[in-house]
Amino acid sequence: MVVNLLPGPGRWQLLAVYLLLATPPLRDWLEAGMVMHMLVQLPLLAGLGVLAVRRLPARLRNRLDRCNAAGVPLTLLALFAIAFWMLPRSLDAALNQPAMELAKFVSLPLLVGAPLALSWRRLPAVGRGFLWSNLLSMLVVLGWLYSAAPVRVCTNYLVDQQQLLGRGLLLLALGLALWLAGQVLFGDSPRRAAQATG
Amino acid sequence: MTDTYVTTNMTAHDRTPIPVLACLATAGAVVLLMMVFGLLLRLAQGGMLDLAPDTFYELLTLHGAGMVGIAALGSVAVMWYFLGQYVRLSGAVFVANLVLFLVGVVMILASVLFGGFAGAWTFLYPLPAQPMGVWSAHAAALFVGGLLVIGTGFLLLYLDVARAILGRYGSLGRALGWPQLFGHDDGRAPPVAVVASTMVLIINTIGITTGAAILVMTLVNLYVPAFGIDPLLAKNMTYFFGHVFINATIYMAVIAVYEILPRYTGRPWKSSKVVLAAWNASVIMVMTNYPHHLLMDFAMPEWALVAGQVISYASGLPVLVVTVIGALTNVHRSGMRWDLASGLLLLSVFGWGAGVIPAIIDATVVINQVMHNTLWVPGHFHTYLLLGMLPMVLGFMYFLARGGRPTDAAGAERGIDRIGFWVFAVAGLGFVLAFLAGGRAGAPRRYAEHLAQWLPYDRAGALFAALVLAATLVFVARFLLRLGSARGRVA
Ligand code: HEM
Repeated sequence: MVVNLLPGPGRWQLLAVYLLLATPPLRDWLEAGMVMHMLVQLPLLAGLGVLAVRRLPARLRNRLDRCNAAGVPLTLLALFAIAFWMLPRSLDAALNQPAMELAKFVSLPLLVGAPLALSWRRLPAVGRGFLWSNLLSMLVVLGWLYSAAPVRVCTNYLVDQQQLLGRGLLLLALGLALWLAGQVLFGDSPRRAAQATG
Repeated sequence: MTDTYVTTNMTAHDRTPIPVLACLATAGAVVLLMMVFGLLLRLAQGGMLDLAPDTFYELLTLHGAGMVGIAALGSVAVMWYFLGQYVRLSGAVFVANLVLFLVGVVMILASVLFGGFAGAWTFLYPLPAQPMGVWSAHAAALFVGGLLVIGTGFLLLYLDVARAILGRYGSLGRALGWPQLFGHDDGRAPPVAVVASTMVLIINTIGITTGAAILVMTLVNLYVPAFGIDPLLAKNMTYFFGHVFINATIYMAVIAVYEILPRYTGRPWKSSKVVLAAWNASVIMVMTNYPHHLLMDFAMPEWALVAGQVISYASGLPVLVVTVIGALTNVHRSGMRWDLASGLLLLSVFGWGAGVIPAIIDATVVINQVMHNTLWVPGHFHTYLLLGMLPMVLGFMYFLARGGRPTDAAGAERGIDRIGFWVFAVAGLGFVLAFLAGGRAGAPRRYAEHLAQWLPYDRAGALFAALVLAATLVFVARFLLRLGSARGRVA
C-alpha cells in the first residue's frame, strides 16, 4: 500500500533501502554501537521519510498541506517524535523489544522525516533559523550530557560508547555550524536575491 | 548610489514605529533605575550607606543584568530603525523581542528580589549552583531562565534581520561588501548600517546559540548536580557569550553615528574599502579576543591566551579608528549645527575611543596579573558603555525628539539640556576616572566592603554618579516629553 502511494521513479529503490536497513546483518551492525545507532541509523530512517515525501502525488500533498498551517503542526509532531527517540531508554527498548524496534522503523520515517519534509519550506524563515539554532545548541548540550553523565544510561551500551557519542554530537554540532556559516556567507546569492527583490 | 542615500533614506520612515519608541522609553526608564542602583552601590562602597552584603550583591546583579539588557534593547532600536530604511524588517518580530525581554526581566527581578539570587549577571559556574545557602536552586534557575527568554527574543530578532538582509543582498558576504572589498569598488557597497548589522547578526547568533547551550547546561546542573560541568569550558562559553553580547551593543549603537552625523553635515559617509575592511575584520576579532577574560586561568592553553592578547590589541582598533577618523573628517569644517544629538554622538565616539585604551592595557598578560578584577575593569567598561554606547542611544533619542530634522530650528533644546550635556560629559569622565584610580590603588571589583585607603575614590565616584544620574534624568525626561514629535514625520 505504501508503495502505491509513492508513484514515480525511485520508489522501488527507496523500499529496497528501507528493507535493507531492516535486515538483520545491517541492522545489527548499525545497532552494535551507540554512535552508529544514534547518528547513522536514526537519521537514515528519517531521511527515507524525507525522500518518500518528494514522491507523494500532488493531490495528497495538497491535502496534507491544508492541515499543516505554516508548517507548524507537523513540525511540532516531528519535534515530539524526535524528543522521544532522544531518550536513552527508548533506544534500549528498541533493542530489547521487537515491538519497539518496529515502532522505531515506522515512526522515524513517518513521524519525523516526512512531517519535517512537508513543513520545512512552509515554515517562515525565522522559524527555520530558530530550529537550526536550537538544534545546534541542543547538540552541544546533549554532547555534554553524554560525556558528563555520572551513570551508564543504556543497559545495552557501555560507558565508553556514550562518551564517544558525546564527542560525536559535539563534532556534529561543529560540522553543522561550519556548513551553515558557509551557506549564508557564500550561498548561491544572485538567484535568491533576484527572487526576493523581484 | 552612495551619493544619494543620505537624501533618499531620510524620507524612508514616515513616522517612527511605535515599538522603537517603546523600546527607547523602556530603556530610558530602566537606565535611570539602574543608575540609582549603581549610585547606591558606590555609596555603600564609600561607607556612606549601610547596605547588608547580600543586598549589595543583589543590587550588583540587578545593575549588571539590567544595564546589559537595556544596552542591548536601546542599541537594537537604533539598528532596527536605520536598517529598516534599507531592508524590509518584520515589526511583529521586533515586538515579540520586546515582549520576551519584558518577560525575562520579570523573571530576573523575581529571582533577585524574592529569591535572593546574587550571583552576578555573568552567572559564572559554579557560583549559581553553590550559593552556600544564600539562594535556592529555583531562584538561580529563574535567573538563568530569564536570561534564556531574553536571549531567545534577541535570537528571533537577529534571524529576522538575517532573513531581510539575505532577501535583499542574497548572501551575508555581499551584505558585508565582499565584492567591493576584494574586487573592484564600484561604489555600490551596502551602506554602513547594513554592513554593521550583518556583522552584529553573525556574531550575536553564534554568541546566543553558545549562550543558550551553557544556560541549559547550567539549568540541568542546578537540579542534577551529578552532571558536573568542566569549569573552564563553562567559563569559555559564558564569557564568549557575554563578551560578544555586550560588545555587539556598541556595534549596533554606533550606527547612529554613521547615519545621523551625515544628516547634520550633508556629507555622505561612504562604505569605502577601508571602512569595509575594518568591519569585516571585526567579525572575527570580536569573537576571538574574549580569552582576555581568562588570562588568569593557568589551565588554558598558552596559545589561546597569547592569541587573546594579540587579537585584543588589534580588535577594537579597526572599526574604532575608521569611526573616529570618519566622524572627525565628516564634521570638520562642515558648518554643521551643534545640538544635543550631534554633541552626544561626538561625545560617544570620544568615550568609545577613550574606553578602549585602558581595556587594551588590561588585556596585556603581565598587566592583567596585577589589575585583574580590580576596579580598573569597571573603569574601562564604564568608559565605553557610559560615555560611548549610552550617548549613542541618547543622541538617537534627541534626534528623534527633534522629529528627525537636524536642520530645523523648531524643537531645539533648552538651556537645561545643554547644561545636562556638560554635566554628563564632565561628571561621566570623573566617575570613570574614580573607578580607574581606585583600580590603580588596588581596590578589587565586586567587593561590598572597601579598605579605608580606597574610600576617597569611592566617594568621589558617588558624587560624580549622582551628577550623571541628574543629567540622564534631564535627557530621558526630554525624550518622554517629546514623544509626540519623536513619533512625528521624518521628512
Ligand atoms: C551613574 C551611572 C552608573 C553607576 C553609578 C554605576 C555603578 C556601578 C558600580 C558601583 C558597579 C560595581 C563595581 C564593582 O565591581 O565594585 C558597577 C558595575 C557594572 N556596571 Fe555600572 N554604573 C553606572 C552606569 C552603567 C552603565 C551605563 C552600564 C552599561 C550600560 C553599566 C554596566 C555595569 C556592568 C555590566 C557592571 C558589572 C557588574 C558585575 O560586576 O557583575 N553601568 N556599576
